[in-house]
Amino acid sequence: MHLETGFLSGRKRALAAVAALTLGLALALGGCGGGGGAAGTAANGGSSTPNIDAIKSRGVLRVGVKADVLGFGYKNPQTNQYEGYEIDIAHELAKRLLGDPNKVELTTVTAKTRQGLLDSGQVDMVIATFTITPERQKVIDFSPVYYTDGIQLLVKRDSGIKSLKDLNGKVIAVAQGADTGQKLQEKAKELGVTIQTAEYASYAEDMAALQNGRAQAFATDGSILKYYENQDPSTVILPDRYSEEPYGIAIKKGNKDLLDFVTKAIDDMKQSGELQQLIRKWKLSGSV
Amino acid sequence: MGALLDAQSWRTLLENWPIFAAGLLQTVVASVLSMLLAAAIGLVMGAFALAPVRLLRWVNRVYVEFFRNTPLLVQVFFLYYGLPQVHVVIPTLWVGVLGLSIYTGAYIAEVLRAGFQAVPRGQMEAGLASGLTYSQVVRRIILPQALRFTLPPLTNQFVNLVKNSQVLALIAGFDLMYQTDSWSSQTALYVQAYIAAAVLYLALTLPLATWARRMERRMNRQLQRRADAGVTEVA
Repeated sequence: MHLETGFLSGRKRALAAVAALTLGLALALGGCGGGGGAAGTAANGGSSTPNIDAIKSRGVLRVGVKADVLGFGYKNPQTNQYEGYEIDIAHELAKRLLGDPNKVELTTVTAKTRQGLLDSGQVDMVIATFTITPERQKVIDFSPVYYTDGIQLLVKRDSGIKSLKDLNGKVIAVAQGADTGQKLQEKAKELGVTIQTAEYASYAEDMAALQNGRAQAFATDGSILKYYENQDPSTVILPDRYSEEPYGIAIKKGNKDLLDFVTKAIDDMKQSGELQQLIRKWKLSGSV
Repeated sequence: MGALLDAQSWRTLLENWPIFAAGLLQTVVASVLSMLLAAAIGLVMGAFALAPVRLLRWVNRVYVEFFRNTPLLVQVFFLYYGLPQVHVVIPTLWVGVLGLSIYTGAYIAEVLRAGFQAVPRGQMEAGLASGLTYSQVVRRIILPQALRFTLPPLTNQFVNLVKNSQVLALIAGFDLMYQTDSWSSQTALYVQAYIAAAVLYLALTLPLATWARRMERRMNRQLQRRADAGVTEVA
């Protein structure tokens, strides 16, 4: 015979804790459903371009970009400025929207953080080597393709690895939040080899995993690998491409006015040859 | 709110249960191995604290203060990224287990030291005076009481260990947190993913806490009975 402390028994207390946790989560999620989406548009006083209006009244376009992809979105340590193909596109969009290419506020994103920043409305759009996939199209809107790349492998020169086939039973480092791992697994299945993919939060960590032998290859889009190949002469990019990676500008689902704007802008820049010119300027290996 | 109530998203989560099960299994394996190793480290280091040799007491202090007051992540990243530069490559799971054990072991040593020191000194003298040997006194008088003092904080340490095991996620350790991160970034179902992870972590930690509370009550009752019996004998 023992006396229970408190007014609830142990099991009831545990259940109450779980209930409280779930309720708290529900409230937290329900409480921050404002901004964007179909509901946002409906609630807006009849204006058909609520997001563009918001950007214009703010006077600055907020864009999420990469900081570690040479030639695309790269924060130059010498100048502390962002530079690259995607940065130029961001400036061009600001010029078209606000009349001044410098009215742009750049935020560094990674494959892991870019979606959250978009969902929470901290950036208006993301131009960050973001591959258009059917799964992502369910939750994000994409502009037309502005660049096409492909997954490649970076390996140590002296490893003797020549292609994905040679990586049977080996570990491949990929970026978390990227679709690289999934696509490589599909390719490996086709080839009848078994690979293990290890996801890391940043490309730098992927590279570290390759360098210290925890992974036998580092896989991501060729354009991204170029920077790391330059960094470490003991590594080499293998020639084979294992996917088509069409990059698109990501807009929060339902922000139709912004989507229409970037769609028209990218189509224009393709027509006029501006994109092709930028690709040459940054010496990129892919195509529009 | 929409994301929370979307039935299709929850269905997708349920269809993908093997991914979460694999993560949960890895978390359990890492946690159990770490608990055993942390307990061993904690026992040895805790004993050092009570040793009659000054050097051992000093080793205990340095160990406890160093590992308790540096972040677990610093320790784990040192093992994972640092050691390979001096050609020591420990397999990922063991990096996690070692890191968790060394870190939690420091806390356990401290808990045990406090527990032993909470038993009044007179108890040892009284036990020896009544004709029991030293080891009998420790086993039958000191330990039961020390355990009673230390069980709640020890349980806390093991619960913390389970939660801290998510450092594995940051070094591609394929634990529950890693699989949750990975799956959610592929499917964009963050709401479902992290609620599922929280529930699974609770499934590991709540039973631990409940069991500890039960043990504590049982020990309290035993001590109460012994005390009652003692009183009647004297009377």
